[in-house]
Amino acid sequence: MASSAAIRPAMGALGRISSTTTTAATAAVTPRQTLSALLPHQQIASISTTAVLLKRHKYPGARDNRDYSKKRGESAIRRTGTRWRLSMSDEPLPRPVSKEALPPIETDPNHGLWEFFYDRKKIVQTPEQDAAHGRAWTVEELRHKSWEDLHKLWWVCVKERNRIATANWERRKQKLGFGEAEAEARDRTVRSTMRAIKHVLTERFYLWEDARKLAENDPEVDLSGNGPAFTPRQYLESEEPAEGEPQAAEGQAEKAAVEAAVDPAMITTSASQSQQAETRL
Amino acid sequence: MATSAATAVQQAATKAPFKIGTKQVFLPNHVIAFIRPKPRQPPNLATFVVPLTFNKLDLRDYLYHVYGVEVTSVRSFINQPAPQRKKYTGQWFRPRAQKMMIAELVKPFVWPEPLPEEERDAFDYKMFSRMAKYRKDMEKQLYEKPDPKLRTQKPEPEPVVGLKQQVKEIIESGEWTNEKTLNVKWLDAQWKEVEKDIKF
Repeated sequence: MASSAAIRPAMGALGRISSTTTTAATAAVTPRQTLSALLPHQQIASISTTAVLLKRHKYPGARDNRDYSKKRGESAIRRTGTRWRLSMSDEPLPRPVSKEALPPIETDPNHGLWEFFYDRKKIVQTPEQDAAHGRAWTVEELRHKSWEDLHKLWWVCVKERNRIATANWERRKQKLGFGEAEAEARDRTVRSTMRAIKHVLTERFYLWEDARKLAENDPEVDLSGNGPAFTPRQYLESEEPAEGEPQAAEGQAEKAAVEAAVDPAMITTSASQSQQAETRL
Repeated sequence: MATSAATAVQQAATKAPFKIGTKQVFLPNHVIAFIRPKPRQPPNLATFVVPLTFNKLDLRDYLYHVYGVEVTSVRSFINQPAPQRKKYTGQWFRPRAQKMMIAELVKPFVWPEPLPEEERDAFDYKMFSRMAKYRKDMEKQLYEKPDPKLRTQKPEPEPVVGLKQQVKEIIESGEWTNEKTLNVKWLDAQWKEVEKDIKF
């Protein structure tokens, strides 16, 4: 049936060329042919004898002779097919495969999303494992850390909180059991570490601001960035310091100014900082 | 150190499969939860619960820079909870909505199977499920309309069922035995009526 459907437009075209001639390509016998065989006295012509739309009117301004019927000659009874070629192909279509027949999808062992889980099998930690953590980092400990260290620690905390949130969701939705309180305590510890990091960074910013203010009025410090940033007076007491001396870069100059103005030992902590937390994450 | 960080950022930007923005975020406070997919969800889709302020580009950048996960596209939707009443005042309020995003992954990720019930002892699952059932029953008792049934519609209590069975057996057999050995003093041979004690 597929092959007959494929040659259908061709058949239609042949039918249009000569409605009565039989061709070798069309193996199927059309009803019209059987009809003509039954009625031998009927005149059969190889060309159409009907009055064709002749182009008789050739004078200027004559009506146009276009065929306005787009489906002229199409007939379901005569099986002419359409007047235009249908776009078809006989390429075999893909057959659907059931999910079970497909090979199982394997996850990459280095996939980044594994980092959302504590355990690749269980996903969630047991309450005992959740509760087995230390205290949070204190502000005093973090004061001695560099910005890079603090930044890394912050991101460790962020990932840990994501893990806790993922485990909480899983525990609640799968109805695994208890463990919410332990997870909450763990989360609180992580948050207190994060708060301590922000505390330290805020302190540093305030110190930097104060140091800058002091340096503005300090004759030993030059904040213009053109000359040497810091010129200690006691070594150059006898003679005037030379101006415009080539020195280090601007960034170093500022750093030197801050270091000169601020003594880290003088930094005092706010007593309000709660240090009851327990982990070093 | 700052220059090395800058070069690292530059390298990440050149390696990234998408155009990276210029705004740098140093200390973000977002919490993102990775959610188990629905049963028929294909493994290249990963669902996340994100803060309401997040947009699709945020999640794409976040997953790439923090977890090294490449994403082809992100879909997002917000779950709007139904209005609730406050506990004591009865005031109507709507709880905070929740934003979820589904990321189309470059590399598929298949979730491990959920923990079977036998392995949930560490979570004290038995007590947990007992409590949940109790709570549910209490809620049902409190908030659902009571449906008092007629005595004939109620199931018969156990003692009644037992007694009826015994009666049926006695009627069928036509006899009854106590099946208890009486004390000797109650036997007929031992018993003598003392007529003289009876006074009319």
